[in-house]
Amino acid sequence: MENPHRSTLRTEGIAKSYGPVVALRSVDITVEPGEIHALLGANGAGKSTFVKILSGVIRSDAGSAHVGEQSINFKMPSDAAEAGIATVYQDPALIPDLSIDQNLTISELRRSDVEPWLERLDLADLDFGLLARDIPLATLRLIDLARALALDPQLLMLDEITAALTPEQADLVFDVMRQWKAMNRSVLFISHRLGEVLALCDVATILRNGRDVAHLTLEGVDEAELVSAMLGEQLAGVAPASDTATSELTSAVSDPSDLVLIADDLNFRGKVNGISFGLRRGEVLGLTALEGQGQDELFALLSGDHRPTSGEIIVNNESLHARSPYDAIRDGLVFVPADREEALFPQRSIRENLALPLYNRIARWFSLQRDEGTRVEGAVERLDIDTRAASQVQRLSGGNRQKVTIGRWLIEDFEVLLCFDPTRGIDIQTKAQIYDLLREVAASGAAVLIYSSELREIPLVCDRVLVMYDGQIVHEQAAATATEEILLTAAHGLEVASS
Amino acid sequence: MTATTPTTNGAGRQLMWRRRVQRHGWTVGVWVLLVVLVAWYATLIPRFGSFQASTILTGGSAWILLGIAQAVVVVAGGLDLGVGGMLVLSSVTAAQFMDGQPIEVAILIGIAILIGAAVLNGLVGWIITVSKIPDIVVTLGSLYIYQGLALMMLPKVGGGTPGAFRWIFTGSEHGVGANPWPALVVIIIPVIIVAWWMGRTKSGLSLYAVGSDATAAFLSGVRDARTKIISFAVAGAVAALAGFSSVSISGVGNPTTDGGVLTLNSVAAIVLGGIALTGGVGSVIAVVPAALILFFFNPILSALGVDPNRAQVIQGILIVFVMMVAGLLEWRRIRRS
Repeated sequence: MENPHRSTLRTEGIAKSYGPVVALRSVDITVEPGEIHALLGANGAGKSTFVKILSGVIRSDAGSAHVGEQSINFKMPSDAAEAGIATVYQDPALIPDLSIDQNLTISELRRSDVEPWLERLDLADLDFGLLARDIPLATLRLIDLARALALDPQLLMLDEITAALTPEQADLVFDVMRQWKAMNRSVLFISHRLGEVLALCDVATILRNGRDVAHLTLEGVDEAELVSAMLGEQLAGVAPASDTATSELTSAVSDPSDLVLIADDLNFRGKVNGISFGLRRGEVLGLTALEGQGQDELFALLSGDHRPTSGEIIVNNESLHARSPYDAIRDGLVFVPADREEALFPQRSIRENLALPLYNRIARWFSLQRDEGTRVEGAVERLDIDTRAASQVQRLSGGNRQKVTIGRWLIEDFEVLLCFDPTRGIDIQTKAQIYDLLREVAASGAAVLIYSSELREIPLVCDRVLVMYDGQIVHEQAAATATEEILLTAAHGLEVASS
Repeated sequence: MTATTPTTNGAGRQLMWRRRVQRHGWTVGVWVLLVVLVAWYATLIPRFGSFQASTILTGGSAWILLGIAQAVVVVAGGLDLGVGGMLVLSSVTAAQFMDGQPIEVAILIGIAILIGAAVLNGLVGWIITVSKIPDIVVTLGSLYIYQGLALMMLPKVGGGTPGAFRWIFTGSEHGVGANPWPALVVIIIPVIIVAWWMGRTKSGLSLYAVGSDATAAFLSGVRDARTKIISFAVAGAVAALAGFSSVSISGVGNPTTDGGVLTLNSVAAIVLGGIALTGGVGSVIAVVPAALILFFFNPILSALGVDPNRAQVIQGILIVFVMMVAGLLEWRRIRRS
C-alpha cells in the first residue's frame, strides 16, 4: 500500500513432487496489491498443489515465495494466516461437530470480527449456535469466506468458491471481492467458470503441466482464448491416433438391442441433473469433466453406492435397484475406483485379490476351489503382472496394482466395467497396457464406461465421449475426432464450435 | 439450497430451545436414569440418608474422574487404556510418600504427583504422535508400565495417607463417613473446569476439532500433535486425581488393583455418557451420571440380595442392555430430526 512497487505475492520456481509424480515443475507468479488475479489450468495442471503450498498445507520442494518483503516458507496453515494469506478451500474448513461460535474461537476470532462480512454476504441473521454440520454447504462456504476476510489478509485465495453457491450468492461474493480490491488488497481466484474470471479478474496466470505458461491481462480476451492458452500450442497438429477406436461407432448405433446399460434421467442431490445415456455391448464410452462436476456421484450411482433421487438405471432391460455395490455387481455392473487402495487388500496376495469376486459365488455353488486357480492364472497372464511380489499386493507398483483391480473383474463375468480415472499416476507403458486391456474387454462383448481427467487419453481408448458440466451432459461426439481443445472447451460449459 | 438459517429472535427462540434439548438429549436422559436409580435404591434399603449419599459419591468419584480422563482423550479422537494404571500408580505413590506427613506436605506431594502424571502421560501422547503407532497399542503398553511402576514402588499393600488428606476426598478422616459434601466438591470442580476448558477455550475446542474432522482442523490452524499431547497430559492428571480419591477411601496404597478393569469401566462410562468413540462428539457433563450409574449397579444388586457371583453376570447384562436402549433412542432421535 505504502510502496507501490511492493507486490503482495511473488513466487519464483515453486516446485513439488510426490515421489516420482511431479505436480509442480516451476511456478513464477506475481500478484500486485489491488488486483484480482485468476489462476487457471486444466485438471492436473497444478493449481491445487500451488494453493496448498501457499496456504501452508504442504511444503514446496524448491523455489522461493515472498509476501510483501517477507520471505515465506510455511510449515502449517496457521503460518500462512500470520503472514497475511487466508484461503477458502474447496471443502469447508469448519469443524462439523462444533457450533459456529466455537469454530470462531478456534480461529481466534470474535463474532464482531465476522459479523460485518456476514452482513455483506446476506447472512446477518446467522445463528452462531448452530452446529456446522447442520448448515447447508453454500452457507458454510460463505461463513468460511467471512472468516477468511475477518483475518484481514493481504492476499485472499478463493478455490472454486462459487461452485456450491446460487447465482445471487455468487454476486454477493463478487461484490465483496471488488470491495477487497478497492481496499488495495489482493485476491487469487480459481474458478472453472471462465465467464466469472473474465468479468472479475484483472490478470490471469495459466498453469500447464506444473509450469506457469502464460501471464495474461484479461482486457479484451475471450473464453476461447483462455481455453487455448490452457492447452498450449503443441496440440495444433496432434490428431488422435487410434485405429482400434474408430470404426465401431457407426456399426453399433444401428442395433438398439445392443444397449446393455441405459441411464434414464438420473438425478442425485443437485450434483447429477438429468443424465441420460446408453452404453452398447462392445463399446468403450468415455466421460470427461473438470473436477467436481458430478462425475463422482454419477459413478457412485452406477456402481450401486448411492441411489438416485430420481431416474432409472437399466441393465439388460431390467431396472437396477441396487441397495449396495453387491447388488450392482450381481447385475453385472463392476467398478474400478480411482483410489486403488480403496479396492485392494494390500496385505493379501495377488491371487486372493484377484479371486475376490469369486467369493460371492460360494453361496450359490459351494465350490470355490475348483476353478479358482485356473481363472487366476489366466488373469495374471493376460494382465502381464509382474508376480515377483505376489505374496502381498502392497509391494506392487501403482500400475500393477491398478491392473489387479481391473483384472479381478476379468475373473467373474460382468456386463459393464466402470472405470474411474484408471490411469491416474501410472507410467506410460502400463497406461498403454491398460488401454489395451480395456479395448480387449470391450472386444469380448462387455461394455466399458471410463471416466478420465486426462483429455489426451479419450481418443486413444474410447469410441464415443461424453462431457459433463454442472451435473449435466453438455457434449457428445465420436472420440476419434475429439481433440483436447473441443473437450476442454465443452468441459468449461462453453459452446463447441461445430466442426 | 438457500442461505436462510434459523434466527435468534421471536419464533427462533423456541426453535433454539428445542434444538438445545435435542442436542443435549442424551445428557438429560442419563441424568434422568441416574435419578430414577437413586430413587429406586432409596426404596430398597431401610434408610437412605447422608451416609448412603456419601458412600455413593465417595466411591463413585474415582469412576467419574477416570471417565473424565478418558473422555478428554476420546473426544480428541484417541483412546487411553493407561488411565486405570495411572490411577493405581498415583494412589500407590501417594500412599508411599504421604505416609506420616503433615497435611501441608501431603498436599504439596499431591500437586507434584499431578504434575508428574501430566508429564508422564503427555509423553505417551507425544510417543503416539511421533511414532504414528495406534493409541490402543501404545497405551496398552503404558497401562502395563504404570501398573509395573506401582508394584516396583510398593510391592504389597501398604503406605498410608494423612487423615486430613482423606477428609478432602471422603469427608471423613477414616475414609467412610456421613458427610457427602467434600466428595461432591471433588467431583464438581474438576468437571466444571474441564467442561469450561473443552467448551470455551481454543485449546479445549481443538480437542473436538481434531476428533471431529482432522483435515478441517488442520486447515483451521489447529496443531493436531500438540492437541493430542495436551489431551493425554490432562487425562493423566485427572486419572491421578482419581487415584487420590481411591487411596483416601482405603487409606493405604494397593498396587494389585487391576488398572485394566478400571480403564474398561472408564470406557463404558464415556460410552454411556454419550461420547462417541470415534471422537468429536459428547460432553463431560454427561460422564458424571453415566459413571455413577455404572458404579451404582453393585450396591443396587446387593440391596436386592443378589448373590455376588451372579451379580457380576447381571451387571454385565445390564451394561449391554442400557447401552442398547440408549443407542436405540439415539438412533430414533437422529432419524426424526
